[in-house]
Amino acid sequence: MAFIPFFIAIPLGAAFLISLAGKRFRASSGPIACAASLFLLAASLAIVKPVLAHKTLVYRVGNWLPPFGIPMIVDSLTALMLVLAGIVVFFVTIYSIGYMKPYTDKWKYYTLLMLLVGGSNGVLLAGDIFNMFVFLEIASISVYALVAYGTEKHSLEGAFKYAVMSSIGSVFIFLGIAILYSYTSTLNMADMAAVLMQKGPGMIVPFVTTLFLVGFGLKAGLMPFHAWLPDAYSAAPATVPALSSGVLIKVLGLYAISRIVFNVFGINAEVSNILVILGSLSMVGGSILAFGQTKMKRLLGYSSISQVGYIAIGLGVGTPLALFGSIFYLLNHSLSKALLFLSAGAIEHSTGTDELGSIRGTCRRSPLAGWASLVGALSISGIPPLGGFWAKLIIIFACIQAGRPMLAFLMVLASIFTLIYYFKAFTGVLFGSESEKSRPFEKALSPHMALALFCLTALVVAAGLVLLPGKWQALINGAVGVLSGGRDYAIILFGAMR
Amino acid sequence: MTAYILCLVLFSIGLYCALRKRNVVKIIIGIGIMEYAANFLFVLIGYRSGGRSPIYANDQVIKSMVDPLPQAVVAVAIVLNLSVTLLLVAIAIKLYEKYGTFDITKINDLKG
Amino acid sequence: MIEIHLLLLFMIAAAVIAVEAKDLLSSVIAVGAVGIGLSLSFLVLKAPDLAIMQLVVEILSLIILIRGTIRRDLPFSASGRWYFNTITTVCFVIVFIGLALLTFRSLPDLGNATMRVSKAYIAEGMLRTGAKNIVAAITLNYRAYDTLGEATMIFAAVIGVLVIARKTGKKEK
Repeated sequence: MAFIPFFIAIPLGAAFLISLAGKRFRASSGPIACAASLFLLAASLAIVKPVLAHKTLVYRVGNWLPPFGIPMIVDSLTALMLVLAGIVVFFVTIYSIGYMKPYTDKWKYYTLLMLLVGGSNGVLLAGDIFNMFVFLEIASISVYALVAYGTEKHSLEGAFKYAVMSSIGSVFIFLGIAILYSYTSTLNMADMAAVLMQKGPGMIVPFVTTLFLVGFGLKAGLMPFHAWLPDAYSAAPATVPALSSGVLIKVLGLYAISRIVFNVFGINAEVSNILVILGSLSMVGGSILAFGQTKMKRLLGYSSISQVGYIAIGLGVGTPLALFGSIFYLLNHSLSKALLFLSAGAIEHSTGTDELGSIRGTCRRSPLAGWASLVGALSISGIPPLGGFWAKLIIIFACIQAGRPMLAFLMVLASIFTLIYYFKAFTGVLFGSESEKSRPFEKALSPHMALALFCLTALVVAAGLVLLPGKWQALINGAVGVLSGGRDYAIILFGAMR
Repeated sequence: MTAYILCLVLFSIGLYCALRKRNVVKIIIGIGIMEYAANFLFVLIGYRSGGRSPIYANDQVIKSMVDPLPQAVVAVAIVLNLSVTLLLVAIAIKLYEKYGTFDITKINDLKG
Repeated sequence: MIEIHLLLLFMIAAAVIAVEAKDLLSSVIAVGAVGIGLSLSFLVLKAPDLAIMQLVVEILSLIILIRGTIRRDLPFSASGRWYFNTITTVCFVIVFIGLALLTFRSLPDLGNATMRVSKAYIAEGMLRTGAKNIVAAITLNYRAYDTLGEATMIFAAVIGVLVIARKTGKKEK
């Protein structure tokens, strides 16, 4: 339990270390980052057992008693997301060692990468709402700079649009925190939940929920706040959208809004309906917009918008089965999307482009990247026996069970669209024959990229096994319990904090 | 309550500027105004009439103090906003170098 | 608290000038005026630490913004969906302030902060941390974790600017 602060200390320490040593010893920045992310993965796996045993672990920073000090809180939802983030970050870091070779000043990249991880872990561990905001900003500013990493025209344009929209979101969140402090007179989330249970929501909580939905919706890329996503993803080096789509959208957007709406405010019918509406809009809108895309990363960006919609609908429906489906879908999507972006990056690394018409016959020319893309695409489209199929099935079934067949119909429709556009995009890329527009596959994959792709493919294939009874299913069930328990979060926490 | 509403009016002016202006620097200014308004609101919330600043002094009789927690929070928030402004202006300067214009409607190569 | 309202009106006027000025330099100076107004308001609201910080940060922001400006703003053009977008934004703003008018009634009035958690900070702060300035006690002791985040944020911003200001991002093969 005393190693909870390591989740923050290791990435921040690695960031500072890389910035000191990376300039002198050029080759050291990559290995330091890999070592740090390996430690983080190990720590997140090690914390699963204590969390399953004790339900909630609390670490008081500076040993001040909350609500006067700031606590770091690990419950099942946090532990699950920590493991997920650990896995994605670890493989992206290994991949980066090979992928970032053409870029200059790599120590800056690894520093920002570690800061991003530190910020994201900080949001996951936060028990205090302003603390969550500070680490959210750290992660956001790191990703703005990472999107602009290539300093080409398009990278800067994508980064600027992303930074502007995301900053507007942050200011909305800060405004919401201010009004919430005025009403509850505390910043600690468990304390706030207790005060709100006593005082009642009044008119303030719906107002602040709207502000938060705008703010966190901008971070998560929910429609109608999605405009930054395709631009930022298409212009950034491939590891950045892999991290953003796999970790940041989930942590800074969906996790934060779920934590606040479920555990602090208490879910009610209006907020659920808004989440369902926004989710449906994203799901259908993202799929339709993905149809006309000719560039791989942009297509994957619109696909991300669509899949986030599924998760939001599941959160909105709110029954335990729907929540289970949502969380499992989130896991699956993070791994599959990271795999897809990394393999798109590998193809781009080899051919120099990501135009769908110019990269053909990948499975023959660069088999690892080809098969990895295939597995990722199958998982997201929902083809059995990969995890994505089970996740979609569970959410659709949960919608029917909750008495909302219209939603289930929309989901099936969107799934069909998803299948169609992936099929249309990928058959040419993977199996097509060379045409006059296609570029040759010049560079072979570096061993780091190959290793990362291989391991992630294996994980995506194995993701369905999580559903079998065991430690992982218990963890997901625990996470569902945290969300569906709602305000019990406050009561459990006060018990664990004494 | 009028003060709170005036704060929100300032916030809305910033929001209008950030959303509707074409010039990149005006957008950054708009975000800055929004941040000032949010900071103002937070400190306004912590005010206690008749209170003094939350600093102890040996030679004075202290009746009541204003709320120190919003001040600590806004102190951190001011620095967060400065960092974001710094990064945004850096991107804007480089954008001018690459595109030759500050017009956001012309900086629109990524389409579709 | 008439001073607060006057300062707010001054800031609003300066903000409108900043938004609408044709000359970018005037815009930036008007934003500086908004910031100075904010600093004065912090003084009136009995937050001297914040007033000093705001002044310093305002000067830094002005320097940064002036570095990024050229003299003229772009000519006004109502092209494309200008009317639709502007009317949508104005409607949104009106709805926003209208809802705020309704909901802010349940907030405590100006000058009556409920200081549940802060009472303990004020009562025990000097005893347990040894600092006379309670805000410093909170920033550096009770909530030092946030201050770590703040320092990391500046660090990230500096690295970000270094990344963006590079001459070449990708080595052309």
